[in-house]
This record gives sequence, C-alpha cells and structure tokens, in this order.
Amino acid sequence: MQVAIEKRLESDKSGSFSLDVAFDAAEGITILFGDSGSGKTTTLRVIAGILKPDRGRISVGEEVYFDSTTGENLSIQKRRVGYVFQDYALFPHMTAEQNVAYGIKDHGNQGNSRSDQARAMLALFKIEHLGGRYPQNMSGGEQQRTALARALASHPAVVLLDEPLSAVDAGTRSRLLDEVVLAQEKVRIPFVYVTHNVAEASYLGARVVVLQNGRIKQIGHPSEIFDRSPDTHSVAAIEGAEREL
Amino acid sequence: MIWEPLKLSLLVVTIATLIIATVGLAIGVLLAKGTFRGKDLLASFLTLPLVLPPTVSGYYLIVILGRHGLVGEYLYQLTGWTVAFTWQAAVIAATVMSLPLMILSARAAVESVNPHFEIVSYTLGKSWLATFFLITVPLARRGILAGIVLSFTRALGEFGATFMLAGNIPGRTQTMPLAIYEAVISGDDKRAQLLALILTGVSVAAVYFTNKLSKGAIRY
Repeated sequence: MQVAIEKRLESDKSGSFSLDVAFDAAEGITILFGDSGSGKTTTLRVIAGILKPDRGRISVGEEVYFDSTTGENLSIQKRRVGYVFQDYALFPHMTAEQNVAYGIKDHGNQGNSRSDQARAMLALFKIEHLGGRYPQNMSGGEQQRTALARALASHPAVVLLDEPLSAVDAGTRSRLLDEVVLAQEKVRIPFVYVTHNVAEASYLGARVVVLQNGRIKQIGHPSEIFDRSPDTHSVAAIEGAEREL
Repeated sequence: MIWEPLKLSLLVVTIATLIIATVGLAIGVLLAKGTFRGKDLLASFLTLPLVLPPTVSGYYLIVILGRHGLVGEYLYQLTGWTVAFTWQAAVIAATVMSLPLMILSARAAVESVNPHFEIVSYTLGKSWLATFFLITVPLARRGILAGIVLSFTRALGEFGATFMLAGNIPGRTQTMPLAIYEAVISGDDKRAQLLALILTGVSVAAVYFTNKLSKGAIRY
C-alpha cells in the first residue's frame, strides 16, 4: 500500500493542524508511532475513507483509493479496509458469530453459507466455542480476537488497527500481540498498526513510521529507532510514550 | 356517549403517532448526523411548539392552514376543502405539538450511539441506510421508543391547539380533553370524572413504561 497525503484540519482548541505524510506499507506489519496529536489516527481515518485528504494519493496494489489529480475517491464501503478500534466496537446486540458474519457477502447458494464462513473464521482464531456469546460477556482478549476475525472475514485488502491493545492489562497484552502477528501471517496483507507504546512497536514492527506534529520524523526498523542512537532521545521524549509492555 | 370522544382520540392519536414516529426520527437523525448551515436555528424552530403557549401555536396553524391562511387559501381554491374544523385538523394539531418531543428524544438517542459501530459497518461494506437500520436503530431503540411513548401521551392530552384549529364539535373534532372541558362547563361531573380517569390512567402507564425503558428494566 502506498500512502501520500496532505490534510489540514481546523481544530477549535489550538488553531489548525496539518498532516503531511508519505510512506509505503508492504505486506507485513507497519507501525505508525507517535504521541497523541501526532496524526496517527487521522492517517488511519484518511486511509479508510472516513476523512478526505486535501491532496495526495492512496493505493493498495493496483487499486487506487484516492487520487487528487484524477479526482478518484473510493467510498469507505468499496475500499475493502478492515478497521479494528481501540474499543473493538463489537456490535453489542449481536453474538460473536453474527458480528463476524456481518460483513460477509452472500454469494448465492454456491460455497458456504455466511454462518459457515463466520464459524470457520472463529475457528481460525480458536474461539469457535464463543460463537453464541455476546460481546459484553467476553474477556478483552476474546473481544480482540472476535474483532480481528470480523475484520478479516470480509477479505480486506489492508487492515488498520488503532491502538488495539491500550484497553487491556499488561499481562494479556503480550499474548494478544502474538495473535496480531499470527493473524497477519494467515492473511499476508498489509497491517497498519497505530501505537504510542515502544515495546509494542519493537515487538511487532518490521517497519516503524515515527510521526510528530503531522510530519514523518523517521522511518526504519525498530532497532534503528528505539536503540541508543543520537536521535533516540527525540523518540524517547515523545510525551506519553510507554516503554513497558 | 363516552365512546365517541374516546374513539376519536384513539384515531387521531394513532395517526399522529405514526407520523411523529417516522418524521420525528428522520428529523432527529438529520440534526444528530447532519452538518449544514442553520442547523441550530432549525433545531430551535422545531422545538418552538414545546415552549409556546398551545393557543399561540394553534393561532399560527390557523394563520397557515385556515381557509384564508397562507397555505389554506390555495388549498381551498384548488379543492374547495379546508382543514379547519375537521378531524384531520385535530391530527395536525396533535402532530405539530408532540413532534418536538420525538425529535429531541430521537436526536439524543442517535447521538448516544458510539460512532465507531457505524464506521466499522461502513468498512464492512454496508451502505448508510443498511447501517442505520442494522446498527443505529437497534442500539438507539430505547430512546426512540421513549420518544414515541412521550409523543403519544402528549398527543393524547393535546387541547389548546386542537381547540383553535379543529374546534370542539361533538362526534367530529371533540377529542377526550375537549370532551372533559365540555362536560365540566355543562355540569356533567360524572362524565368529566370518568373521562379524566381514563386519560390519567393511560398517561400514568405511559410515563411508568418510559421510566422503565430508560432504566433498561425492560428487555425486548
């Protein structure tokens, strides 16, 4: 996936904020790292099509999501993006299976039914026994797996994760990180993972994109970014950066 | 004797509630989700019947819909029919007076739904309309239902504007509240008492139901 976007946001608090970022997210996990207000979540929202950028181009493989020079701008529905929120946003009035089946398209009578496909997806995440359960009766980890299963069930071209682990306790966190890695390895598509946690970024990322004030500060392997180097304290100084898992 | 106003009230209130539920929900959603110029002004304007004296709202309805009204005059010239002093006028009065309650409840209910649910639904390929009916309405159902019950109750008790636009014609526009008024001034205490008790019973039940709903004590 190639992303090159510019966007001005008028905020009521502190004047305006401008985002100007360009990066590649190949197959694998790409980390968007930065403190709150750095533009990480805005970037995800622009990729998903929730926000429209002022200028730039977003493409996944051959498919162009947005191109300001041609006027191309695919709707959210057509972008085939899986979105995992920090709060998982599992539909509370649906069971795990109904949540996962929600985005699966019915292709007539051929192949498996939507609920068969949903059950297969739950089995992939080893939570087939939770199919009939409602989100409010599930643990944080079970909710995350269901949210991942739901995002992957509709065969997305890219998965966007917005700080999916900040709501769970430290012990569960490392286990859930492995789930994200496994999920990515199963589908082999680009995952863009937003976090302000150094340990999470180091654990997951082959590529880390460091954002500050809407600009890219650094792109590189976690070892180049987080290990002691002259530039380290710039990242260490990022407010709110958590270094522990 | 007692059945005529009751029957008319039920007819008027049922039709009014159906209109209020759909139109009020639509306007509530527009105010909750829409970003357009003059939104706050429109919201204030639509709330007016709630704060104006009902006779004033009724007066404006006459100015607009009466035989010589802004709209009513054209309607009369075209069709020879005027809405004033018909049962339809009672429906219009009840609808206009109760609509603000539905709009306020529906708007608050729709705004209370976490927008993440709707965004996820879009990313899963569902259209705006499908998302509205599959996600937003089920999650906002308590507030929407509470709005419908409150509007129903308000429409049932509507007096001032109805009197102004529809008059007080027994068997034609005399709804329950008007029949109570008529019974009292003509000294028919028994009739007034019975009608008042029926209206009180329905209203108490509706408020009780609404409270239960908003506390989440009723599962449905």
